[in-house]
This record gives sequence, C-alpha cells and structure tokens, in this order.
Amino acid sequence: MSDLAKLTFAYLALLALLALTVGSSFVDLGGFNSAINLAAAAAKTVVIALLFMHLAGEGILPRLAVAAVGLWLAILFGLTLIGQ
Amino acid sequence: MSGPTESIAFDTRAREKAADAFGMWIFIGSEAMLFGAIVLVFLYARLSYGAAFAAASQHLSLPLGTLNTAVLITSSFAMALAHMFTAARRWRPAFWALMSTSLLGCIFLVIKAVEYSKEFSEGLAPVLGAPFRFAGPDPAHAEFFFALYFAMTSLHALHLIGGIAVIAGMLLLWPRTAQASRARRVQAIGLYWHFVDIVWVFLFPVLYLINRA
Repeated sequence: MSDLAKLTFAYLALLALLALTVGSSFVDLGGFNSAINLAAAAAKTVVIALLFMHLAGEGILPRLAVAAVGLWLAILFGLTLIGQ
Repeated sequence: MSGPTESIAFDTRAREKAADAFGMWIFIGSEAMLFGAIVLVFLYARLSYGAAFAAASQHLSLPLGTLNTAVLITSSFAMALAHMFTAARRWRPAFWALMSTSLLGCIFLVIKAVEYSKEFSEGLAPVLGAPFRFAGPDPAHAEFFFALYFAMTSLHALHLIGGIAVIAGMLLLWPRTAQASRARRVQAIGLYWHFVDIVWVFLFPVLYLINRA
C-alpha cells in the first residue's frame, strides 16, 4: 500500500469509529455504552499512533517510552479505582 | 541519513533523528501523565456522582462536539500528509498541508468558543466568577462536572493554541529554513499535533457521551 493510501485509510477509519461511537451512544446498552466508547477511543489511538505517528517504524526507544507511560497510568488508575 | 547534522552534539544525522524522536516521545509521555491525572479525577467523580454527571453531560452540544472531533481528525490527517510530503521533499504541498492543519485547528477553536459562549449564556459556566444555574437534581455536583469540563477542554485548547503558534512560526520561517531542518521540525510538531488529537479523542466520549440514550 502506498503512503497516501495508508493515510487515507487511517482517516476514513477514524471517521468511521467516530460515527460508531456517536451512533452507539443513542442506543441504551447499560454499562456497555461506556465500554464501547472507551474501546473506540482506544482503537482511534492505535490508528493515530501507528499510521499517523509511525510508532511501529521508529525503533525501540519510542515504544519503550509509550510502554512506560502506559505502565504508570495503569498504576495510577488501578490504585485509585481499586477501592471503588 | 548522511550529511551534516544540525547540532554539533551528534556525529550522524541518523543519531540526531533518533534523539529528536525519543525526546518528543518523552515529552508526549509527560503530557499524557498530565491529562491522565485530570481524566482520572473526572472518572472518580463520575463514579461517585453518576446521576448528576449524566444530567449535566446532556447540556453539552453533541452536534458541535461531534463536528469538532471530525475537524480535529481532519487536521491530524492534513498533518500526516505534511509529514509524507516532507519525507518526499515535496516542499510546496507540504507547506499547504501545514497551512490546512493550522487553519483546521483555528476552526476547532472557533467552534469551541461558540460552545463556551452558549454555556456561559445558559449559566452553565462556573468559571471566572460567572453565576451557575442548574435546574436538574444535585446542582452542586453538576457544577463540579462543568468545572472539570472547562478545566479539561481549556487545557486542551491551550495545547492546540500552542501547536498552531508553532506551525505559524514554522511557516513564517519556511523560506529561510534549510531543507533538512524543515523535515525535522515537521516531524516534531507532527508528533505533538497527533498527541493533542488523541487527547481530544478521549475527552469527547468522556465528557459528551454519558448516558445519551
């Protein structure tokens, strides 16, 4: 796939995910509404990081930085919400 | 990856590029911790005062929020195109892609300002000493929702203003910038711009999409 095709695919995928998340919010799914919203946001993040920010092609250091942030955020959220 | 480096700190251009990218990713990581902490405060409050937060969220404009998300995604696409053109050394389309990115950023801010003015006029903005009126149940916690909403969206808007200012400065200096430096600068501002987009990707469902059904 050419670079332009890749970026266009990413753009259309992001718009489709936006439509999905807005559309699903009008259907009452109980607790699943939030789950779908967060899953769609996470999917958008993966598309942006891999195709727009070229995270996969940048070597090991950027991926380590992202993994470290993910770890610390998981600790922060986990320890805070553990009592909820 | 040969040729002279921009800084004397590096032996090769490849090393300089790797250090650039790593530095930007560390900076983005620190920004993610900042936004992550605020989102965590919001989630905790939402778990504690779910009914009030759901009622308050209904007062945000879903059409404007959705439109703004689409605008920001489009600006990110334009930025990715700018990076692609820069890598191919096609400077003129790269210049116009950067111009489009910053213009779309400005459109986002204008739409956000329209939303803010609407919320101020409806008495839903407990900031800057403005009066807060809320007819629904539990107005005290609804007020907390709007305080967090303004804190999160204005922090995001400040980041966007910073990005637009950097792009504007780059475009002003564009004719006088060496080609290798153009590529490095577009790479760095591109990573930042995409990150600010990711922040909004989370803020939008967290703030706007609570119990719309």
